[in-house]
Amino acid sequence: MENKIAVLEGLLFVVGEDGLSLEQIMGILEINEEEAKELVKLLKKNYEDDSRGIRIDFLGNRFKLTTKKEHKEYYQKLLERSDSNVLSQAALETLAIIAYNEPVTRMQVDTLRGVASSQMIRKLVAKGFIKEAGRSDLLGRPILYETTNDFLDYFGLSTIDDLPDMRDFLEKEEEENEDTDLYRSKYIEEEA
Amino acid sequence: MIIVGDNMDIKFKIDEFEGPLDLLLHLIKESKMDIFDIQIEEITKQYLAYIESQEKLNLEIASEYLVMASELLEIKSKMLLPRNEEELEIEEEDPREQLVSRLLEYEAYKEITKTLKAKEDDRRDIYTKMPENVNDYIENRNYLESGLNIEDLTNAFLKFLQRKEAAKPLKTKVTVKEISVSSRRRDIKKILKKEKKVSFFKLFPVVTKEYIVATFLAILEMAKNNELLIKQKDTFEDIVCEVPNGK
Repeated sequence: MENKIAVLEGLLFVVGEDGLSLEQIMGILEINEEEAKELVKLLKKNYEDDSRGIRIDFLGNRFKLTTKKEHKEYYQKLLERSDSNVLSQAALETLAIIAYNEPVTRMQVDTLRGVASSQMIRKLVAKGFIKEAGRSDLLGRPILYETTNDFLDYFGLSTIDDLPDMRDFLEKEEEENEDTDLYRSKYIEEEA
Repeated sequence: MIIVGDNMDIKFKIDEFEGPLDLLLHLIKESKMDIFDIQIEEITKQYLAYIESQEKLNLEIASEYLVMASELLEIKSKMLLPRNEEELEIEEEDPREQLVSRLLEYEAYKEITKTLKAKEDDRRDIYTKMPENVNDYIENRNYLESGLNIEDLTNAFLKFLQRKEAAKPLKTKVTVKEISVSSRRRDIKKILKKEKKVSFFKLFPVVTKEYIVATFLAILEMAKNNELLIKQKDTFEDIVCEVPNGK
């Protein structure tokens, strides 16, 4: 087992930000799912020691070696961090809408945002945060979009299920509101 | 007619809003309205006043904002329509309902972006590295069948060169033979001098377009100048060209 831990460590080093999926670990080391999980857990524990500078993170459906958050100030001294290099409000809004409704068409995004989104969608595709996911059966067979693993990683999410529950963000009417299905409000279907 | 509210404080420029829904939410919050009970008349007034104020500042108003303005006016007019008793009995949809659900949903996404922003910020505190370049470790794969050597490769290349040579187009010279009416006239004159009488069709030994046209013109010209007579005994009989009498 120790031997395999060393190999796993090396593998994770080699793949860097691309990371490894559980299936890849199983395939390369020729072990079953349980063993693979156990191996990752063991290595993870190794890294938890204060004398270690890296850790294993599960980001965008992949295991990746990352630095530890508590050491961030040292990295920031090393790398000049440009705070301007973050996503705009419009980009965040568009990403949120796509992530919660994927796969979606541009028209659906336009409707939810209330503004035209084609340029923003093109930008997000170029950045690798979203990708085309086939075509819708709607008239004109518009392109469908969905988020990528890079999107998840960018926001430090392991899987799409890590997104906060949309319902927590919907404002509720004081009295009992019968129409609880606002989440998928009907105008999407009507106008799309 | 749009009345600009004098008391309205314009703090934000239009490009600070992400769109008409964002602006509308802002106006609703500012006037402390309940989102489930929007006072359409008031909010429409504010919305239009805001748009007008921005136009006065020569800021470009995206068409989406104007679409929303017209939607607001439509809802306002629907709410002003008197309803008779029959209509009251049927429980009719509140004209504001669609707008409210759009605003609520948009607001939810807007709130979520705050969470995303925080997560984005957190993620920037940890670092990963570029994948290693593993090309050096990839074993050279031998795609050649066994038994092949460098000589085979050389021969194959030589054969290729030969084929390429063979595929080159052969050197040829393309010339156009010009046939003039006058040259054909001279030819026909010669023939007539010898034969005196010749079948029209025999004057066209070469069947190319240029040749036929030049010959035909030559015959017509000669006939006009009385250098040649065209005769046909009967329909579908042979046409004969002959030297006119006395020449």
